[in-house]
Amino acid sequence: MIALDKVSKNYGKNTSTFTALDKVSFEVTDGATVAIIGKSGSGKSTLMHVMSGLDSPSSGSVIIDGQPLQSLSQKKIDAFRANDMGFIFQSFFIEPNQTCLQNVLLPLEIAKVARGSRKPKALEALTAVGLDDKADNLAVSLSGGQKQRLAIARAIANKPRILFADEPTGNLDSATGEMIIKLLFSLNADLGCTLIVVTHDKDLALRCQKQIQIKDGKVQRIDQANQRTKKVVR
Amino acid sequence: MYISDILRRSGRTLRSAKVRTLLTSLAIAVGTFSLTLTLAASNGAQQFVDQIITDNFDPAELIVASDDRVFGQGDTSTPREYDPSFGTIASPAGAATQIARLTGDDLERIEELDAVEQVRKNLTVNLQYITRPDQPKFVATISALNPYQSPELRAGNIPEPLNNRRLLLPEAYVASLGFSNPQDAVGETLALTVLPSGGKIQQELARSESYQVAIEDRLVTQDFTIAGVLAPPLTSQPGTELYLYAGTQDVSELNEITTRGTPNYQRYNAVFVRIAGGENTETLQAGQADIRELGYVAQSVQDTQDFLNQIIAVLQGIVAGFAFIAIIASVFGIINTMYISVLQRTREIGLMKALGMHSKDIGRLFRFEAAWIGFLGGAIGSLLAVGLGLAINPWLSETIELGEGNYLLLFDWVEIVGLILALVVISILAGWLPSRKAAKLDPIVALRTE
Repeated sequence: MIALDKVSKNYGKNTSTFTALDKVSFEVTDGATVAIIGKSGSGKSTLMHVMSGLDSPSSGSVIIDGQPLQSLSQKKIDAFRANDMGFIFQSFFIEPNQTCLQNVLLPLEIAKVARGSRKPKALEALTAVGLDDKADNLAVSLSGGQKQRLAIARAIANKPRILFADEPTGNLDSATGEMIIKLLFSLNADLGCTLIVVTHDKDLALRCQKQIQIKDGKVQRIDQANQRTKKVVR
Repeated sequence: MYISDILRRSGRTLRSAKVRTLLTSLAIAVGTFSLTLTLAASNGAQQFVDQIITDNFDPAELIVASDDRVFGQGDTSTPREYDPSFGTIASPAGAATQIARLTGDDLERIEELDAVEQVRKNLTVNLQYITRPDQPKFVATISALNPYQSPELRAGNIPEPLNNRRLLLPEAYVASLGFSNPQDAVGETLALTVLPSGGKIQQELARSESYQVAIEDRLVTQDFTIAGVLAPPLTSQPGTELYLYAGTQDVSELNEITTRGTPNYQRYNAVFVRIAGGENTETLQAGQADIRELGYVAQSVQDTQDFLNQIIAVLQGIVAGFAFIAIIASVFGIINTMYISVLQRTREIGLMKALGMHSKDIGRLFRFEAAWIGFLGGAIGSLLAVGLGLAINPWLSETIELGEGNYLLLFDWVEIVGLILALVVISILAGWLPSRKAAKLDPIVALRTE
């Protein structure tokens, strides 16, 4: 379970401080699908960065499985991200001049997965996203949708417990975006991983079990799927 | 991330930017090429010197002289007072100079030392000519055979002892003197003609219009038997390739004929002094000290070898210096390339950090890339140098007349591997700052970079 307790994030010093997150608190149960929604500059991405340990909160704490993330050393946070988290970005961030297989092998190398099991794991991930036949193709030759599927394969290769997706359909046409959304939810169902999606896309958000709306760094409301319960946190 | 994975990934990244990698490596290759050839030339020169020394000198012998100018030392910047007993010679640069020579008394003093086993005169006589019946006359020089020398023979043998007007003839004279092969020459007679020194008479003759006739009248000829024919020396002191060799007594006799009445008569620029047990360096040095105490200049073969090698090392240092400057210039190329690489791959760095890669490993990734560039540059430069060197070695060695079997460029693989490793280390240092920049990048800023 991921729990955020009064997490704030401020940038700048003295008079020119900017509050990106303001005492944000909520919980995400294991295996849940959560959408973080809000306008540009509302603090969605900052929230994702803080939850994943890429950034540290100015105050408050992020607690994962009862362990405050900030109490861990940077090395342990890195290891935690390598072993338990997967990331999908709007801009794919794939290495175009390397093969699909080499792209997917990257997180497995970072996580120091045993050499013998890396390739089977990478191929399994490529199969899960339907790119097994492109394993030896250079990533540069893929279409936009295929690139995002490759990014997803890279994110799930090490079977993470938490999958962060930052605007996963932002750079895709609607048909391809739909395909990616279905893929993400099927992976959530198949792998049992927690899916946290940062998105503008209301349709995508509505498919998640929980929608956390952020505005000006504050949680505006949290909606539970099928309950439509408005819960004003602050 | 495992080191081996970082190493592989860094190599893979460089392969994906082939042109950039190749161009940066080529800049290093230029310096490496020059350094490899410099080292090879230095090795060749050193080996040549070492072999000349080994083949021609007894390590237990000292070269002893009365004047340090014999060894190219001494003060040449101040005028030297004239001494009629010295005789005047030309210095290597052509300037007139005088050298104090060793006399019979000097040799006796040296021989009396306990450490001294033997004193051997360094005798070389410029003959007027050599010939045999119905054959042309040839210019020649005869020298006393150094007992330490064991020259290769084409025919015949070296009598033990070499005396009774027997000599060794270089193979180059065989055909010129009308022999069909070296074997035919063995046992045949060769006439050695010298011009005796004539003091005042010779000077008078020199002014005469019939000088040539008069010289012919004064010439002295001695018949020598050819005991053996010498194969062309693989290594010899430059200029001695066509020397005839005979026993010390016979050469001494010729020397006396040519020097009688001159300041050179029974005087020697230098002699070879064998130290008892001189094979041992400490014993040799003790003997050297004894001789120096008597006021003579004594140089061991090792000193001569060191002196020559020092000259080679200085020349090598100058050329290597230029090559090193080229390498230093290429180091800036690596720094520049790596900085550009960090800038171009900012988002990749952000992604790797997001995926859990430690900052230390990010730094290593870029340093290893720099190391690969250094390795490639080193390998390309040294392989090109070796390839070119091996191709031109025969022509080069022939052009500068090093002799058969000797090469100017001698490649030492240990040196080449050492050079490449040094370049790898230099490249890693060059990649240090860019790698620090990469390691310190904020992953969030990096991921947001357009």
